[in-house]
Amino acid sequence: MIPSHQLTFVEEIALLALDDATGKRLPMPTLGFSYALAGAALCDLFHLGRIDTDPAALTVLSTAPTGDPILDEVLKVLAAARTPEPVGSWLGVLAQRSAWLEAAADDRLVERGILRREENKVLWVFGVRRYPTVDNHERVEVRTRLRTLILGDDLPDPRDATLLSLLCACQLAAVIFRGPEYNARADRLASLAKMDLVGREVSRAIDALGKALLGASPLRL
Amino acid sequence: MEITASTQNDITVLALQGRLDGLASPQLEQRLDALVAAGTRKVVLDCSALNYVSSAGLRVFLGGAKKLKSAGGRAAFAALTPAVHEVFELSGFLEVLAVHPSAAAAAASLA
Repeated sequence: MIPSHQLTFVEEIALLALDDATGKRLPMPTLGFSYALAGAALCDLFHLGRIDTDPAALTVLSTAPTGDPILDEVLKVLAAARTPEPVGSWLGVLAQRSAWLEAAADDRLVERGILRREENKVLWVFGVRRYPTVDNHERVEVRTRLRTLILGDDLPDPRDATLLSLLCACQLAAVIFRGPEYNARADRLASLAKMDLVGREVSRAIDALGKALLGASPLRL
Repeated sequence: MEITASTQNDITVLALQGRLDGLASPQLEQRLDALVAAGTRKVVLDCSALNYVSSAGLRVFLGGAKKLKSAGGRAAFAALTPAVHEVFELSGFLEVLAVHPSAAAAAASLA
């Protein structure tokens, strides 16, 4: 079970992807965010001992409920597979449900009192939803912990390695941790980002999609 | 997976044999936690007979090394088999963990 005070990776990615001031999503590739949310769900299940992975396949170890409805739904999808599939395949499947993952995570963050929901109309027609921050403690604490990790030389805690790996994969790390002090630690960040196999697969899947889209572009020279 | 423990002075050597996967990794995690709790600060993980490691195994390796370091100790990994070496390389573990060609070399690094 996840301790009730601890955010899931899905919630952490959804939270860190929001601009503190505006409550809007930070600039990042949409596909990257979808895959990061999908990867976050897999990482949650991995750290809860429900699945295991290696470079060849994802294995379901236990279908025991986690107590988290979002993760239990994802676990059901994984458990229904007839044959073991690689992590990259599951990322593709789950990324198609990323809108649901994002909405469910945002709802949870509102329930936790971390965000509040605002609905506005643009040009009196288009609905725009924002999530301004109510309690910034969680976001500041996570950013501070990861900042210390990137700028220092200590071994990462496995959960921090996972989160950093996901943030790097969807290019959110470059938005959150920017400036000369981080530029000087690019090698360290790249090394930490590789340490979680699911995060690494998210990064690979996003790279492959980017290349495929570039290859399909009629503007290609 | 089988774990065989031996002690040389203040260094504990855990020889791992078989597969370190999601089913076996809790066993190693408990062993490492117990060692740290009992005051052991120098641990060699001899991987010369370990022929497979999954993400769950890597998590226990990293978590164990981190716990030892937080307690003022150190972990050293020894004699990676080609399959385990490949996973360490893929995941960047070679860059952050102390890896040695033999258990003797790993023990010497902790002495």
